[in-house]
Amino acid sequence: MSPHEGDVRRSRGFLLVAGSIVASLILVGAYLAAGGSSYEPEKVQDPCKPRPWSNPQSLSEIANQFSVSALDGAACQLGVSREELAQALATPEARERFKQKYGIDDEKLAKAVRAGLLRAVDDAEEAGALSPLLAVPLRETVQRIPLEQAIELINDAESFLGNVDGFLGPAGDLLEEFLP
Amino acid sequence: MAALALAVGLVLADSSIIVLALPDIYRELDTSVSGVTWVLVSFNLVMALAAVPAALIARRVGPGRAAAVGLAVFAGAGLACGLADELSTLIVARCIQALGGAAAVTAALELLPATLGSERRATTVWAAAGATGAALGPAVGGILTELVSWQSIFLLQVPVALAAAVPILAVAKHEAATGIVSTELRRTGRPHLWANLALAMVSAAIAAALFLLVLLLIEGWRLSPIEAALVVSVMPLAALLGGRLADQVPDARSRAAAGAILVSGGLAGLAFLPKATILLTLPPQILVGIGLALVLSALTETALSGRAPQAIHGGWTISARHAGVVIGLLALTPIFTAEIEEQRRDGINAGTAVILDSPINPLLKIDLAERVSERLEDEQGKVPTIGPAFEPLPEDPGERTEVEQLQGELQDQLDRGATHAFSTSFILAALLGLIALFPIALSKEVEL
Repeated sequence: MSPHEGDVRRSRGFLLVAGSIVASLILVGAYLAAGGSSYEPEKVQDPCKPRPWSNPQSLSEIANQFSVSALDGAACQLGVSREELAQALATPEARERFKQKYGIDDEKLAKAVRAGLLRAVDDAEEAGALSPLLAVPLRETVQRIPLEQAIELINDAESFLGNVDGFLGPAGDLLEEFLP
Repeated sequence: MAALALAVGLVLADSSIIVLALPDIYRELDTSVSGVTWVLVSFNLVMALAAVPAALIARRVGPGRAAAVGLAVFAGAGLACGLADELSTLIVARCIQALGGAAAVTAALELLPATLGSERRATTVWAAAGATGAALGPAVGGILTELVSWQSIFLLQVPVALAAAVPILAVAKHEAATGIVSTELRRTGRPHLWANLALAMVSAAIAAALFLLVLLLIEGWRLSPIEAALVVSVMPLAALLGGRLADQVPDARSRAAAGAILVSGGLAGLAFLPKATILLTLPPQILVGIGLALVLSALTETALSGRAPQAIHGGWTISARHAGVVIGLLALTPIFTAEIEEQRRDGINAGTAVILDSPINPLLKIDLAERVSERLEDEQGKVPTIGPAFEPLPEDPGERTEVEQLQGELQDQLDRGATHAFSTSFILAALLGLIALFPIALSKEVEL
């Protein structure tokens, strides 16, 4: 091999290796710049941290945030995420699996759901979405209701808040007018 | 020559051809991800162990006879694979297929110089046939799985292997008639340690690239096998380009280094996909395709350069390649199976958060949550397609738009989880490719 051939051979080899490095860096750099390192499911929030209410206007919006607060409170009590608890409460089968996974019985679940509902009442009151006069009997009510009804309350807070008289008896008619 | 190249391509394609069929085999034979991985691992493991002994036998009984018998065994075991209705039967048949394949591939390297006139040319054709087979395998397997069935992959191999065996049979008859059989083994030199070590590492990275990408496309992004086959066919097309590039650079060490860098770069690209879009998998695949063509042929040539007998050193390269595939699969399978489950859970939780925080009507939200939950239960352990849970869409246009937006956001969270689940494995595979640069740097310079 002549010196010239050797130079050509070396320069071609060098160019190929350098080109490969550049192509690889460009690709990886472009993907990282486009968000490749953070393309993953969003992290769920700690349910024990307060989740601010966003100035709800209608009964439907209040019910939405009431449910979310109640789930946060119950999940915090159980030491699971709000999302996992919501999945567990969606169907009876999912609830059974959840109870088995965490070794939770109905009593513990009921206690946690009631604690969640209490937090939801507190949050609603603090956000000005619920009158203090109505909050007091609501607290009394949620502390006594059975598990199935408590879960129903989270799932269908709108019916609950819209028909407080049904839950509170004759006092409900009077208290309903305090709802914003 | 064509029959020999076909035999080499067919056998070496077999180490990757069933990659796209694995999800179907997984479902049909009712096994686990780890279990189905053994359909791939068993073949590669036996190839790794049997390649050198097969080469020794080929030299004793005659390469023509060894190649013909090897192809017949390969075809017979392929038939058994196609008829297998249990995972254990399939794995045993795959092991026998690998035994036949090892004999055929190593014997082919002994036969090729006589056909092509030079050992160097024979090495180039042998290495190119192997690289082409390995690169084409997944695409062909995917198309067959979708159009016919996973069994058809093996059943189709039967006539192809027999067709390749027929002309070789003439050589075997000639050997028997003339008695031209190397009964004495020439003194065998030591195998090229660095080139074979690099070959093993790069093969591990390439196997991971094919296996993981296919799983991502089918199990993660819910593509059909034929769609996935079309997507991964970019790799063999890019490998053709890489082959042309290789012709321009005589220095094998530079080609090997460039190839390993490109394979690693492509794998790193797959690890950092910024969105679950097929289009974004193409540039990384192009790098891997060009890289594999450069590195596999360069390292094979280096490992065989100046070594005799060729069949035995060819056996060492086959052994190194398939050992690399086995190591790659066994090391990465537990990592990504654990990640898939974790990311699936994170994706579902993130999707649930999207539903909970959405402004849609609470009653509709509860109804949706129940349907989504049922959908997740129906597809336990897999990344679900969420669309059916949202049907029928509300009639109210405003609500309909909100629900459609919610569906998109929820599916996005699941896709993020599915894609991210593969990141760690792709990064580890990329590192394997980069580590191969050390033995490449230590290998002796070889020219075309």
